[in-house]
Amino acid sequence: MKPAPFDYYAPSTIEEACGLLAEAGGGATILAGGQTLMPLLALRMSQPFLLVDINRIAALKGISRSAGSTRIGPITRQNEAIADATLGSAQPLLVTAVKHVGHHQTRNRGTIGGSIALGEPAAELPATAVALGASVEVRSAKRGKRRIAAEELYLGPYATALEFDELVTDIHVPEWPTGTRWMFRELAQRPGDFALVGLTGAITVQDGKVSRAGLAWFGMGPTPIKARQAEAALLGQSLDQLDHAAIAELAVADTAPFDDHHATSEYRRTVGRRMFARALRETLEAKA
Amino acid sequence: MSKHQIHLDINGRAHDASVEGRLTLCDFLRGDAGYTGVHVGCEHGVCGACTVMVDGLAVRSCLMLAVQADGCSVTTVEGLSSGDGALHPVQQTLREEHGLQCGFCTPGVVMTLAALTQGEQKPSSETLINAMSGHICRCTGYQGIRRAALRLAGETLAPVEDHG
Amino acid sequence: MNQPETRTDRYIGKRQARSEDLRLLTGRGVYTDDVSLPGMLQVAFHRSPVARGLIRSIDTSAARELPGVFAVLTAQDLERYQPNMLSFFLAPPVVPVPLLAVDRVCYVGDPVAMVIAQDRYIAEDAAGLITVEYEEEAPVVTLDDARQGPLVHPGTESNVAAATGADELDPDLEELLNSAPHLEVIEMKHQRISQSPMEPRGVVAAPQGSGEMTVYLSCQGPQLAARWFSQAFDLPQTTFRVISKDVGGSFGLKGQPWREETAVVAAALILGRPLKWIEDRLENLTSANQAREQDMKLRVAFDLEGNLIASHADYGINNGAYPHGADSNIAVMMFLWAAHKLQAFNFSAKGWFSNTVGLGAYRGPWALESLAREVLLDRAARKLKIDPIELRRKTLITRADQPTMTPMGLALEDISPAECLEELLKKVDVAAFRIEQAEARKQGRYLGLGFATYIEPTAGTAGVIVLISESCHIRIEPTGKVSAVVSTHSQGHGTQTTMAQVIAERLGVPFEDVTVYEDDSSRGGYGSGAYGSRQAVAGGGACIRAADLMADKIRAIAAHVFEARPEDVFIRGGRVHILGAREQVYSLRDIADVAYAEPERLPEGMEAGLETQYRYCPPALTLTSAAHACVVEVDVDTGFVRILRWVSSEDVGNMINPAVVEGQVAGGLAQAIGQVLFEEVSYDARGNPTAVTYKDYMLPTIFDVPVFEYLHGASAPSQTEGGFRGVGEGGCIVGPPTLVNAIADALAPFGELKLEFPLTPPRLLELIEGRPMGRRHG
Repeated sequence: MKPAPFDYYAPSTIEEACGLLAEAGGGATILAGGQTLMPLLALRMSQPFLLVDINRIAALKGISRSAGSTRIGPITRQNEAIADATLGSAQPLLVTAVKHVGHHQTRNRGTIGGSIALGEPAAELPATAVALGASVEVRSAKRGKRRIAAEELYLGPYATALEFDELVTDIHVPEWPTGTRWMFRELAQRPGDFALVGLTGAITVQDGKVSRAGLAWFGMGPTPIKARQAEAALLGQSLDQLDHAAIAELAVADTAPFDDHHATSEYRRTVGRRMFARALRETLEAKA
Repeated sequence: MSKHQIHLDINGRAHDASVEGRLTLCDFLRGDAGYTGVHVGCEHGVCGACTVMVDGLAVRSCLMLAVQADGCSVTTVEGLSSGDGALHPVQQTLREEHGLQCGFCTPGVVMTLAALTQGEQKPSSETLINAMSGHICRCTGYQGIRRAALRLAGETLAPVEDHG
Repeated sequence: MNQPETRTDRYIGKRQARSEDLRLLTGRGVYTDDVSLPGMLQVAFHRSPVARGLIRSIDTSAARELPGVFAVLTAQDLERYQPNMLSFFLAPPVVPVPLLAVDRVCYVGDPVAMVIAQDRYIAEDAAGLITVEYEEEAPVVTLDDARQGPLVHPGTESNVAAATGADELDPDLEELLNSAPHLEVIEMKHQRISQSPMEPRGVVAAPQGSGEMTVYLSCQGPQLAARWFSQAFDLPQTTFRVISKDVGGSFGLKGQPWREETAVVAAALILGRPLKWIEDRLENLTSANQAREQDMKLRVAFDLEGNLIASHADYGINNGAYPHGADSNIAVMMFLWAAHKLQAFNFSAKGWFSNTVGLGAYRGPWALESLAREVLLDRAARKLKIDPIELRRKTLITRADQPTMTPMGLALEDISPAECLEELLKKVDVAAFRIEQAEARKQGRYLGLGFATYIEPTAGTAGVIVLISESCHIRIEPTGKVSAVVSTHSQGHGTQTTMAQVIAERLGVPFEDVTVYEDDSSRGGYGSGAYGSRQAVAGGGACIRAADLMADKIRAIAAHVFEARPEDVFIRGGRVHILGAREQVYSLRDIADVAYAEPERLPEGMEAGLETQYRYCPPALTLTSAAHACVVEVDVDTGFVRILRWVSSEDVGNMINPAVVEGQVAGGLAQAIGQVLFEEVSYDARGNPTAVTYKDYMLPTIFDVPVFEYLHGASAPSQTEGGFRGVGEGGCIVGPPTLVNAIADALAPFGELKLEFPLTPPRLLELIEGRPMGRRHG
């Protein structure tokens, strides 16, 4: 289990990195934290001829807040994110989700951007980005900057809307208003495993009614799945009149789970339905 | 296939080497640098046996390239015990609690616990036990590892009783 | 013993900290991959991606041309050395086992060619450049495939690799079964397990140029491995020396060398260079022999009081393509009813070839007997409305019932599962639990309590040529320190510590003064190392007798030289005391000085030096007994199982080191938890393995294994020298039924478990919901 040969570059600027990606014409792979990529290289399931290591690009680091949004540099390590006070107060749901990613040791290397850009359908961060309405800012040497909403980013398992020459430079997560309640549930067989069923989201309650909801599943389909029907059904609803079971049913209706080595689609739907209903009840019963 | 000059500190000693881009940090530490206490158990980041400290943090050395450690300070299990041969407190506690059998996963376990207890850190037992979920031990059923982690978090455990 | 000063020398029974730990904790152990020799080259295998098929052509030209590649070998190149691939018992295989595939591949992962290169990276690059044309055939994957499918090995009569028992049903037994007041029948399918030692297999083969072949090997005993290589290769001019210092777990996998290790030795003989092969985890999960894939239909007749009347077992085990030894696992039948009052028993047992990785040993290879029996007993108890503990009290053979003989002809003298159960019940309050369980159910929480008992054959020797004896050589060095070379071997067992404890106590020297060596077949005598839970019994016995001989010799010398009576000479704390009007004290060094340097001062006829040895033959079988209980909660929303408590009560005889004993029990139980809940080597219909990393082959973590409680109160000394009993495999045997019974108890309101393992959340939810949950893929 040794990686196949590749050329390795560790550029120090975004421009340099984008130049390398463009030149490689699709033969390059970006190395961020490497906690998923390195096993794929070792198994020779991934055999790029060029590895572009972005860990030495200072501009890709950092966490900052501005007008209703939090900017996270993509190579922010997962454990740095957990320890970051700014992020903790601005994006508590994201921090909760990060705590569920892998293990302590992998979070010391693994990055926020790496997880979001990879698009593992059972991972915590892509779904949380979708739920919160986050977006990624990307750069390419030829076409410059563009912004992609997380909701538009994921096309299939490990398949994203990112072009081969694009580098994620910023992750923007909107800050949700006061009165927002956070919901995060993950069912995994062992700590650090990908979810059999996972649920993440934010629900804003104002004057006893739901004014905003962003909810997403992970491990419930080929991509993170936004629970659109459930979100719509929640909007404007008064907390004391909610039919949790009915909304859970709508939430599951948006999923497309599959059978794999760990669980069956019917299992995922059955458990997801219950998980959703219970999580909704517990989240909305809790004091904001 | 690119070659790279790297300069790093391993267990307090400066080390220069020329490495291929694809060489993993664990293979470099074991082969080129001679620190065979770094154990390679799965090469895909699950078992935790290869855990070392890079700039003071516990990381899987199979999930890093050697070239990425350029400029870093790396500590392996060989670098923990003091010169007089006395065991590091983590090693001593694991020994007292019979926290190892075959010893293959042990260097990784030691390095995670050492990283989380170094300096002024006062980790909770929850922190240490959670971090232990990143290590697979096939021998001990984690009994001694758990006891050692709890003790390192400052908990006082009832001594093991001999019934009958 | 009423002389207080002797107490400082008591080590047997102490929780002695392990000597091994000092090197293992500091990264200074020497595992096979840590061995590096001048001129050493590295090996990687090219393996078949096809489960069954013919090799049409092999093209290695591109691989040979890659810079850094030294050689590429195929079966043809190894023809000079076709070793006889013996079983662990040194029996020849029932089908020829090639080192590399010849004409035909028999499983995904079957080694077809080996690349020898300057490093492993290049070796893997080159292995990827080999192209092989296959004519793929429909594979035989499952036990059902094997029973119906084409021949795995053309030229054999059937896919039956081994068979015992009777195919025809015995009409008398059938009559007993069919006319009984209650007939309980279970059918179970046990999944395939990967032993998964944290250190995979590995070998460094170093030809020395003068007919000496040094093999550094990750194995269960260097003596047995050296004997195996020697007999398998049958090269009278070549001496095999096996060195195995530290081994990162084995669990049965490394009991004997197999195709890859042997191919590396053959290649080293051909090329005359030191070669290293270290199995990576992908290879380990796809190409190292595996275990446990079995099915069983067990029928048991009861009277209405719960007494056993008769039983029949129909059993199959997947042997894969090249088992370590073709096996129908007769031990399952030997121990199914060995501890129970049941005389009418018959069975049919078969091992089947398939196009999968071969069968190997795994901790308690016959463990299905306990799983089947204990699960069936609980099920019958529920139907007969008898307390499962009462059912066991009624059916178990107690100490008072012995000596007696089992239906399979096993003599029982001192088994005690019933007594272990009573000891267990002192700590597990069943009545209180039932109240708690009833209360919890009212709140929708499903708790379960499971019990199981078993007996374990340890240190078995009867009729097994490789297991008859173990040896211990002791030397008091000229320095006065004690060295012992013992034929035990630790892959985590801590025998360097436990054997030193035994020697130190019997000799009367400080533990720290005793060094035990067990890592080199060229030192000491033959022994099988770690196999069949034997080291405490067989190795411990050898150490006692060798130490006693040494103590006698020291006493004789001291008495002679210092003019005392031998009975007045005592060795304590490493010093020789001569009692008398004026007590004289000498060091062992003083005695060694005489023994080595002034032999003329020794008693007449005594050999110079201070060396003794003893080869101990333990009784044919030493039986260990235990009863376990565990408490679980099953989340009926998700099918997740949480283990809340686990209590073990064993009769392990005299313990050398309770911490080591408990470590063995705990390790076995953790593996049991893995088997019941998580682990599965799975194949798709084409015979492709589908759990090839530790993401998919799920080993238990610290969160999955509870704190274990141990009760040793039922222990009674065995008949062996030292009164020890083996304890290596038990947890892995009694653990699975204990946990399954707890889960079955928790979910009893929903019906009976379908006995297909592992009991994954989807499978449990299927029972809870009473509807299918679909099939997992792979």
